[in-house]
Amino acid sequence: MPIERGLQYLRQMQRVTLKNLPMPLEKTLKWQQAHPDETKIKAIMSRKGPISRSALPPYGIDPIQAEGRLPWILTVPKEPYYEGVEEARQYLPISLRTLQRLIDLRRINPEKPIDLPVLCNTKLFSIQPDQRQFGLQLTDEGADLFSTPINLEIQWVASELAIAAIERCGGVLTTRYFDPISLSALIDAKKFFERGEPIPRCDTPPINAVESYTDPKQRGYLANPDSIREERQRLAQKYGYKLPDPSKFSSLFRLKKDPRQIFYGLEPGWLVNLKDQTILKPTDAKFQTFYHS
Amino acid sequence: KLGIVDLHPSIWQTSPRLDILYENIEWQKTYKKIDWAYTPPHHEYPSMRGKPWPQKGTGRARHKSKFDPQWKGGYKVHGPKGPTSFFYVLPKEKRVEGLCTALTVKLHQNDVHFVDSLDLPTHQPTYLQELAEDRFWGPSVLFVDDTDIMPHNIMFASAKTEGFTLMPVYGLNVYSILKHTTLVLTIRALNKIEKKLLHALHSCDNPKDQPAPPDEP
Repeated sequence: MPIERGLQYLRQMQRVTLKNLPMPLEKTLKWQQAHPDETKIKAIMSRKGPISRSALPPYGIDPIQAEGRLPWILTVPKEPYYEGVEEARQYLPISLRTLQRLIDLRRINPEKPIDLPVLCNTKLFSIQPDQRQFGLQLTDEGADLFSTPINLEIQWVASELAIAAIERCGGVLTTRYFDPISLSALIDAKKFFERGEPIPRCDTPPINAVESYTDPKQRGYLANPDSIREERQRLAQKYGYKLPDPSKFSSLFRLKKDPRQIFYGLEPGWLVNLKDQTILKPTDAKFQTFYHS
Repeated sequence: KLGIVDLHPSIWQTSPRLDILYENIEWQKTYKKIDWAYTPPHHEYPSMRGKPWPQKGTGRARHKSKFDPQWKGGYKVHGPKGPTSFFYVLPKEKRVEGLCTALTVKLHQNDVHFVDSLDLPTHQPTYLQELAEDRFWGPSVLFVDDTDIMPHNIMFASAKTEGFTLMPVYGLNVYSILKHTTLVLTIRALNKIEKKLLHALHSCDNPKDQPAPPDEP
């Protein structure tokens, strides 16, 4: 009850005296608008201005306050198509055709897993993390030409055809998220190791990306492996090819990364010393829990 | 302590509207105010029959009379004219509400005390002062009784002490209630106040159609 709360305050506060009372509130805008000043009336009846020249601004704007011009908020144009530009993620496209070409020209080894650093070492892509670029995406140009089995790790896939083209040849596709700090380590690995920083652990994806990275249809790295197998069967039935046996391939082929891991074979927290050809690993328990959490 | 007193919540537990208290106090201060300022206008000034010095020849500015507004000692064009009164009557509901909130404020800040009657054994002012000190009644006390005529002893005692005032019920007002730190009511005064205030709170007749309010408790 508001009365009781007011009385509660009364009991706790100082004694109400003649000097303690609050001043009255100023008259509201509604009252002021209903009772215009002399100056306002004179302005309305003047021989100049937008009222007398039939040049009133659009409905809803006070002509006297506007002083004959549109308010600033209306002069600045709206560009609603640029909404969300600061948060949008960009992925540079790589087509199946370029992949096949790189494999044929022996710039990429299909027997080892194909990763972001592998593709960046070809120097065909310049990924800039400060420009909100988060890696590479696979496009389906050249789906008919593609004919090598590969273990591909890419950041985004837009079409099912691309996934089907890789799996028809017997390859494996996963979509993987890298946050900008780990991206800068992956793009130029040698430069990163020369800096002398420990390998960062990869962050979890942002909230609007978690759905796609846990989706088996996108072959997300956080998805359930059983549901991924189901989706492979479904795709094979849809596009009309037979899934080859996975047991024929080598163990290197089936390498998969931990969600916190960036490089194959290197764990987060390790310091790589290129000069002395050594790796330093943390022994303290708290570092290990942090990097492996 | 003699017993427990029942109080009516419409009077003693209303919402503490400090703005209504402020309005009542403003009204009490300004309705008696008369502003006696008067500046005589142009036609009430002496006319010195024209120009103080000729238009041209002297090196001074040109003037027509010595009592123009730009001169020292000249008339004022739109100055205050005559006694202006600030009289207005605050609506009855606000006055009643003001009294009720003043009483609730005093009650909930432990500044109200109820007393059998205002009889004292002696007329010595020290007796009353010591009594008030023992009971932690503040520096200023307002004694409210039923009628104008108060007992002798309390009259002499309060006349000698600073801050103690006696008041009948018809003199009760928001300014006095808030000015004095404590309020001491007799039971007869309480009954009368409650009856009058409740009648005022719950009657919705126009002043013309209203029957006379009840006088005797």
